[in-house]
Amino acid sequence: MTRVKNNTIQFILDNEIVTIDFVHCSLAPTTTLLTYLRSLPDHKGVKEGCAEGDCGACTVVIAEQKNGTIHYKAVNSCLVFLPMIHGKQVITVENLAHTTTAKGLQLHPVQTALMEADGTQCGYCTPGVVMSLFGLYKNVPAPDRTEVEEYLNGNLCRCTGYQPMINAGASLPANNDDWFTENEEHTLQLIQTINTPQTSITIETSTQSYFQPLTIDEALQAKETHPDAVILSGSTDISLKQTKQFELLQTVIDLSAIDSLQEFTETDTVFTIGAGMALESITKKLQNQLPVFTEMIRLFASKQIRNLATIGGNIASASPINDAIPLLFSLEASVTLTSRSEKRELSVEDFILSYRKTAIQPNELIENIIIPKPKNNCSNRFYKVSKREHVDISSVSAGFSLELEGNLIKKIILAYGGMAATTKRATKTENFLLGSPWDQRNIQQAMLIVKDEFTPLSDVRAGADYRTMVAGNLLMKFYLETIA
Amino acid sequence: MNDTTPHHNSAIKHVTGQSLYINDIEESEQLLHGMVLYSPHAHAIIHSVHVADALQLPGVKAVLSYKDITGLNQMGPVLKDEPCLAKSTVHFIGQAVLLIAAENLDIARHAAKLIRIEYEALEPILDIPTAITKNSRLQPEQTIETGNTSNALQNCRHTLHGDFVTGGQEHWYLETQTAMAIPGEDRELKIFSSTQHPSETQAIAAKVLGINRNEVEVEVRRLGGAFGGKETQANHYAAWAALLATATRRPVKIRLTRDEDQIMTGKRHDFLSNYHVGFDDTGKITALDVKLHANAGAAADLTMPILARAMFHIDNAYFIPNLTVSGNSWKTNLPPNTAFRGFGGPQGMAVIENIVDRIARFLKKDGLEVRKLNLYQPDRNNRTHYGQLITNNCLGVLLEQLVSTSEYWKRRKEVQQFNRENEFVKKGLALTPVKFGISFTTAFLNQAGALINIYQDGTVLINHGGVEMGQGLHTKILKIAASELGIDLQYIKTNATNTTKVPNTSATAASSGTDLNGMAVKAGIEKIKVRLQELAATFFNENKNSMQTKSANVTFADNMVFDTKNRQRQISFQELIQIAYLDRISLSATGFYKTPNIHFDRETGKGEPFHYFATGMSVSEVSIDTLTGKVELLRTDILHDAGKSINEKIDIGQIEGGFIQGVGWITNEELRYDTKGNLLTHSPSTYKIPTISDIPNDFRVSLLKGYPNPNTIKQSKAIGEPPFMHGLSVWMAIKDAVSAVGDHKTEPDLTIPATSETVLRTIDKIREKEQHYLLIASKQAFPQ
Repeated sequence: MTRVKNNTIQFILDNEIVTIDFVHCSLAPTTTLLTYLRSLPDHKGVKEGCAEGDCGACTVVIAEQKNGTIHYKAVNSCLVFLPMIHGKQVITVENLAHTTTAKGLQLHPVQTALMEADGTQCGYCTPGVVMSLFGLYKNVPAPDRTEVEEYLNGNLCRCTGYQPMINAGASLPANNDDWFTENEEHTLQLIQTINTPQTSITIETSTQSYFQPLTIDEALQAKETHPDAVILSGSTDISLKQTKQFELLQTVIDLSAIDSLQEFTETDTVFTIGAGMALESITKKLQNQLPVFTEMIRLFASKQIRNLATIGGNIASASPINDAIPLLFSLEASVTLTSRSEKRELSVEDFILSYRKTAIQPNELIENIIIPKPKNNCSNRFYKVSKREHVDISSVSAGFSLELEGNLIKKIILAYGGMAATTKRATKTENFLLGSPWDQRNIQQAMLIVKDEFTPLSDVRAGADYRTMVAGNLLMKFYLETIA
Repeated sequence: MNDTTPHHNSAIKHVTGQSLYINDIEESEQLLHGMVLYSPHAHAIIHSVHVADALQLPGVKAVLSYKDITGLNQMGPVLKDEPCLAKSTVHFIGQAVLLIAAENLDIARHAAKLIRIEYEALEPILDIPTAITKNSRLQPEQTIETGNTSNALQNCRHTLHGDFVTGGQEHWYLETQTAMAIPGEDRELKIFSSTQHPSETQAIAAKVLGINRNEVEVEVRRLGGAFGGKETQANHYAAWAALLATATRRPVKIRLTRDEDQIMTGKRHDFLSNYHVGFDDTGKITALDVKLHANAGAAADLTMPILARAMFHIDNAYFIPNLTVSGNSWKTNLPPNTAFRGFGGPQGMAVIENIVDRIARFLKKDGLEVRKLNLYQPDRNNRTHYGQLITNNCLGVLLEQLVSTSEYWKRRKEVQQFNRENEFVKKGLALTPVKFGISFTTAFLNQAGALINIYQDGTVLINHGGVEMGQGLHTKILKIAASELGIDLQYIKTNATNTTKVPNTSATAASSGTDLNGMAVKAGIEKIKVRLQELAATFFNENKNSMQTKSANVTFADNMVFDTKNRQRQISFQELIQIAYLDRISLSATGFYKTPNIHFDRETGKGEPFHYFATGMSVSEVSIDTLTGKVELLRTDILHDAGKSINEKIDIGQIEGGFIQGVGWITNEELRYDTKGNLLTHSPSTYKIPTISDIPNDFRVSLLKGYPNPNTIKQSKAIGEPPFMHGLSVWMAIKDAVSAVGDHKTEPDLTIPATSETVLRTIDKIREKEQHYLLIASKQAFPQ
């Protein structure tokens, strides 16, 4: 039995431990970090640009302790509920510059770099850009252009045209020391003070209940008691119910503190990915081993979102325009669902039932995702077609896998997102291709079949005919890329 | 670029998060939050409004309707066709019906849910073709004409005609519309407003309240971006906050959420045009007849001047001896469209650029050849269709330099080679010029004022009518003041823009901020300098019998004031200010400026509406994936004429930023509506402005050297809007790449914006026509 902390959370801000008692203040457990920071006199630099994680103006950096060291990650403060920062340090744009009596105001290297590159005009996006650059500075020594873009494409700027930001990022030094580095020991002490002992959190206010368990069992128990609770695993989607729809989330079970959901293991045949792992952490584990997966993640939202969004939360949404699900279909991945009495493994294909509906039972949680390692003679590709390449939702996404014997198709999986009410395989096309030679004539034939196989919708993102055209053309792209 | 060139004067505050915007101003405990309840119908009759339940809700302090407007129920900036709050009908989704003030926004939103309004929905008009069919005209057609177009069209070698569509664009300033009104004594009101036009905001607020302008003070320190979107439409939020503040006698803030902002505010006008062009075998255009149709939305706003600017720019940089352009404005049930960087210029220029490109394809020539052939010349063929002579024309120089530095012809060959060798990826290359007229085309707006205060410690406070919105106006003003006064920047400060300091100002718009306000500041400083020169001469001449210092020889430099004829005679600026104070000399002065010699006769369509033209050129290269329509921007070279730049860093920033905004307009920024007039793309999840990954892989921007601009402040040129239209080179490059799919035999029917969807559809049409869809040849066709 872990100890429970009632109604309060603690975190580090401005180098001090801050305690919030939700019963005795006007903050709600689902107050966002952005709203909280802006209510303070000294953190108005944090800006709201969209309140949905798309613009990055509210970017702050969260520092957390893992295995005795501090990790820095940029997040959208508009998507983070306050209990999610329990036991962590929050760093805002106001915290970067350092004033000493001897030297006066000392800008942080990222601030100097941005200023020297003339990377500010109206200044409204700047605090977020500075914090993304700070995340870059703390994680990537001497970044190249690709890395700068990767860290900044979640920060919209309407004034500068971004070139100065690229220049600023490229001018950052290889050494990532700063006064945060010097202060890390102190920060670790503060984190330890908060986390000793580590406690699960239960917050009950007059209008809301918020649980942050430490174990899966506690979470399942809470789910049993509160079958209507919203399960929070990353919050990048759920929080919009509040920030955009102004709904009150009455009961929340927040899985972010459960360590066992963060586990990654690997055997000769499979990767097992904890459902609570953020997409960004998965990339780090898989980048050399399963490049098709990191390609999917590369095109998935922004760094700030990927630092929060979890793979479990992502597939549980069962969105028809999901990116991960078609890829997991093609990789023949499965999920482990766990209840207090049993565990069961289900293929991702069987897990997705219909539009935004999964096979998950009220007494279950997703524990992990299991991806079989692809065979050597197997080609896997992920394609995402969207209006804008980065930080956009797919018009069409596709996960393809192909196993050849000689030039004959031994096995093929063609899974599409955006073409139906759920992720769907092009089974007729697969059946047509199976056993046939992998050649251009067959592909051209397959392109026609796939077009008949789906009747996609026209919506705000794309027209039905465009989706159909693309679905066919992606087969050609797959063919061209696999014959090289 | 000189390393000593100052950065943006707020750069340190920006990077440390210390810059204050309206929403960052310390809130009073008495502050109420305002919310606008708007029409959910594009066109409807209001039958009844029930607010009693909402008023009962604890924390609700006011619910106002048109009946509560004490002054005039009118906010139209030009025509009086925009009610402040809807009375009996609504004309677009987002039109304000009621205002709510409450202790916080949650309560206000709750109150909104308790309000019942009965509407009777009517048929809306949502696009230009429907408006034309229903003859829903906003204003009568206007025409500008030169030569004899119909005659020339009959007698020329070739003619082409067609229609062309350019889409609208959401401003997407990072800071949404915000205003905070604070009641004072009597009827006084102070309004902090994120506005580009404080004087008009003051005027509109006074008008709806029925009070005098001298009772309303409007102040703004800086805007978090505007781009035209806060030129007229910021007035509304200020007026609404003012109404609520007056009704409750408490401070009231209105700040829109992103979705509200995108739904409620007007955008760049979408245009439809019909053209008929005549040209000879070389590609020389002999005649052009264009009808422009602008989608005004539900009210006039600035549509008429925007349409006029589109008509003024239908020539772009080309001499067309016989030209008729007519402008039509159409009323639809969408939010009133408004100013957006370029102000109609992009819509006009896109038409002619598309025509020139089509002529080149028709004649199987390179687009560059046809462009070069038609450019305005320095000494002949240099009068526009509205009769203005183009002086100091450097278009030829720009073209020559840019063709060389961008290696246009070499890269053209490489692009052709690449396209021969690749089936599925095609490249395109294009050069486009920009010639943009500088001045408000409404002549009286070209005036500016300033108030210069020097304090006893020698520090200077500058007030002027311009608004800082990121463009670096204050940075340039400081430079002007520092060089006029001969003192360091650290002694000078620009004040927040405030209507009590400088009255009757024009909007900071039309790229005119520095041109107008810089001159006004200079004029104010000159007045004080004359006083100080006399004082210094008197001071130098005391007890000195030899050579007398003439006040005309007193100069200001290096924080000193001295006699240029005798450098020994000097005094520090600060000391001189002390003496001036003791000598009872006024250390405050106003400055005023009006742009000389501009005029335009709307009846004849002739005149000189512009003080001068800003010019530039760009070359862009793209590749497109012909299987998905995805565009990649490989390289852009821009050469732009900023005259003698006051601050090269600021000017380059304006070019890069303006260009990328233009790229957004012509690529991914697409406004989609449903059949009822609901904007579907009302948040950044569906409306996609460029990210850092959408800029050219190789982006080279330079300023033209050696062409100072006569008769402007420090011989500089306006820089705000012209670079936006460099985005057209990307659109032309995309069209070139699409055209390569059919080996340039078929004219691509490409529109703006060229989203990947539009690109793929256009490619598909070409493939169908050329009958080689799926007739795929090679193996290595798809480079990684």
